Parts: sequence; structure tokens; C-alpha cells
Amino acid sequence: MKHLRPINKKAERIDQAASMTEEDVVALQQGPDKPKPHVPMGCTLSFSPGWEVDAGGGTAGLCQPVERDIYDCYVTCFWPVQVADHVNYSPDWAANCAIATKDWRKLDLVFP
Amino acid sequence: MKMLRLGAIALLSAVAAFSPAQAGTMFLGGYPNQLMVIDEAKSSVTQEIKLETGLPMSMRLSDDGKLLYATTITTSGIEVMDVATRKIVNSFSLNTPTTRYRFTGGVPDRSGRYFYILATRIDKNLDTFRISKLQFMVVDLQTKAVVKTADLDAEDQKFSYRGALMLSPDGKTLYAFRDKVIVVNTADLKTVDHFDLAKPDFPGMQDVSFGGGVGRLQTPGQFVSLFETEDPYIHNKTFGVARLDLDTRQFTFTPIGPSPRALSGLEVSPDGKSGYTVAVNGDLGSQRCEFWRFDLDTSKALDKAEFPCRRRFYFGISGNGQNLYIYGAGFDVAVYDAKTLKPKADWELTHDTTMSGMVIIP
Repeated sequence: MKHLRPINKKAERIDQAASMTEEDVVALQQGPDKPKPHVPMGCTLSFSPGWEVDAGGGTAGLCQPVERDIYDCYVTCFWPVQVADHVNYSPDWAANCAIATKDWRKLDLVFP
Repeated sequence: MKMLRLGAIALLSAVAAFSPAQAGTMFLGGYPNQLMVIDEAKSSVTQEIKLETGLPMSMRLSDDGKLLYATTITTSGIEVMDVATRKIVNSFSLNTPTTRYRFTGGVPDRSGRYFYILATRIDKNLDTFRISKLQFMVVDLQTKAVVKTADLDAEDQKFSYRGALMLSPDGKTLYAFRDKVIVVNTADLKTVDHFDLAKPDFPGMQDVSFGGGVGRLQTPGQFVSLFETEDPYIHNKTFGVARLDLDTRQFTFTPIGPSPRALSGLEVSPDGKSGYTVAVNGDLGSQRCEFWRFDLDTSKALDKAEFPCRRRFYFGISGNGQNLYIYGAGFDVAVYDAKTLKPKADWELTHDTTMSGMVIIP
């Protein structure tokens, strides 16, 4: 297609739209204008500290250990982390767990 | 023996003199469906109040301080607690098997009959989910149903439903605060005005302290908080104290200085003279958090001190104005001295705190 050149405005727009799709698509990328750290997928399948990331893709200044703030993901899906969904499917996931850091063993099991 | 008794009385008097006599009672939302009642003097949880509708996401004190309104996310519920007896006097969910609502917080009118929220309605149809536009809604607390709705204007649809709400004392005007201030006529829920002032709140925070700290500064009908504005040419952002007269819709803005990356809301000492906020600069590995103290009479920054950031936290002030609180994302409250801005204590609670914020009563 490099030998083709748009000669009217509509063709120019098509050309621009096509060129935008040539950029890499990266997992968890928020948008083309806001480069952010590229975080690995599967932030935490278990309660393993070290893999969690915050909303900006950062790993600094997190609440440690991970159980400390796991409820934020449970309620608002703030972190891309695999925990149960409070609002739609698993409202009772944490019903027996007042403090996640201490009582995380009491979190319910969720079977998809 | 008499000497011993007198000594004991003297000791008790001394303890009373040095104890935080004006310390209040703090309410915090707790997982999975609690309101924790914390005695500031004892630094511990003294009571837990169960919320039948689920996980608390906001709390708000009525203007007379007699009722506490909590909203819950699990079933889109509203719960009303009598502050004196600590009993839930009204509790219901807006959700039905086919309809759900998403909202965070709201404001009751003076009569206590109606509750204004900023919400989205989700209807489950046979083969689709229909999601409404962002709407102002009026909930009748007696019939326990949404009785009036109106879409926000098209240009306000990007406005977050987390925006805080205030109602004028005469009940005729509703204010929504976030990216700008939206002024709404409560009779028909139509937007009648906009102010180009933005609440510069930290994204992880919620504007739930309006009924607490800021409420103490408010003369009736006046809302005072930190706001942010920017010039139209080079878009430099400036923060300052804005005083909004809720009845006349007039506001004054006193700039203080250039905006940091993020600011929490304004917390005010009981005498109304000192204001506190948390400024957040940098991000990720270079994030710095600082307390800032202001003289509210002159609207000048007086002092600042750095404290360890949490990735997500909320900010509050004690009932007597002597302590500053950092809490959220965990089960503890970090206590700082309001004068020296240095750490004093760390209170352990019985539940992880939710995003409902903090309400403190004398």
C-alpha cells in the first residue's frame, strides 16, 4: 500500500485510520496518547505479593501485603487481579472475612 | 485512707484534664457490611452496626446531626441510622430482580423525606441490558423508591456518579461537585448553571467528608472547600479556598498557590481557623504525600510535613481537631498530631475499612 497516496480528504482519513492500527497493541494499554508501564498479565492468580500493580501500572507504594487491599479490587475492580466480583456474582465472597490480612483463609471459594 | 482517696481523686482529675475531653465518636464503614463505631478517646471500636443492604460506600450526617445516611453497593441500598440510639430506622434496597442502580452517596433534604443521588440505572431486558444515561434521581425514603429522574445534560454525561452533592437550605437548589460545579433546580432537576471550578480530589479518595470536617466550618447555607481553577491560556492550575453560598449561588475563590498533582478535600479544625489537606506529588516510584496546613482567615499555607504514602487512602480530622487521620486499604487508622504533623499512634480496627469515609460526631 505504500505506493498508494490519498488524493482527497476521505482517503486521507482512511489512510490515517489504517496507520493507527499499525501500532502495537499491548495488554492493559489505556490509550495511544498515554504511554504507561506495560504490566504482565495475570497479576495475581494467588495471594503472592510482588505481582500486583496499581491503576497506573506501577508496583511502588502498593499496600503490602496484597491481602491488605484486595477488597478494593473485589468491590471496584480497581486492580486487574483475579478476585471475585462483589456487585454481580459473588456478593458473599468476603462475608466471613472481616480483615483480609488476617482472615483471608475465610474467603469463600468461587467456581465459575 | 483519706489521703489515698484524695490522691485517687486528684489522679482521676489529672487524667480527665489530660484526656481528650472533646474527643468524639467516629463512624467508619467496615467489610463486609458494618458500620464501626469508634471512641476517639479509647482509640478502639466500641460497637458494630450491621447494614442489611450490604457494603457501605458512603456516609452522610443530616444537617441537624441526628441521622446518619449510609449508602451501600451490594444491593444499591440506603440505610438511615438514628445517631443517638445507634439504631437503623430505615433500610431498603433500590434493586429489583431486573433493575439495578449504581450510585455513591447522596444528600437528604431537610425534611428527611427525600434523598438526592447521582446514578445510573441498569435494566435487564430479555436479550439485552439497557444502561441509562447519568441521571439525577430523587429517592422517596418513605415509599422506598425512585420518584423522579432527569438525565444530566449531554455535556455533563462524562461527569462521574461519584460526584458529591450538596443541597441549599431552602431545598430549591442542588449542587454537584466534581470536574466542575453543576447547579440544578430541584423542582424539575434541570441544570441551570455551571461553575468552572473543579474539586481537586485525589482519585482514590471520595468526597465523603462533607458532612464531617467541612460541615463544622459551614455557617448555615455556606459550603467551603478546596477548589481548583486554571487560566484559559497556558492552563496553569491554581488551587484555593472557595466559599459557596448555597442559597444565592454566589461564590468567592481565594487562590493559594499552584496545584500539586492531587489534593484531598479540606478538613477544618472545630474553631474554623485551621484547614488541612493532603497533597500528592509524583506517581508510582516517586510519589510523595504531604500534610498541608492553612490559616483559613488569611487563606495562606502555613506548614507542611511529609508522611508515608499509601497507594489508596483517605484523610480525616478528629472531632477535637487535635489529630489527623490517614486510613483506608486495611484495618488501621494512622493518627498524626495536627500541630506537629508527626505520627502519634496507629489504631487497629475490627474490620477492613470500606470507601465510605469517616463521620465524626461530638
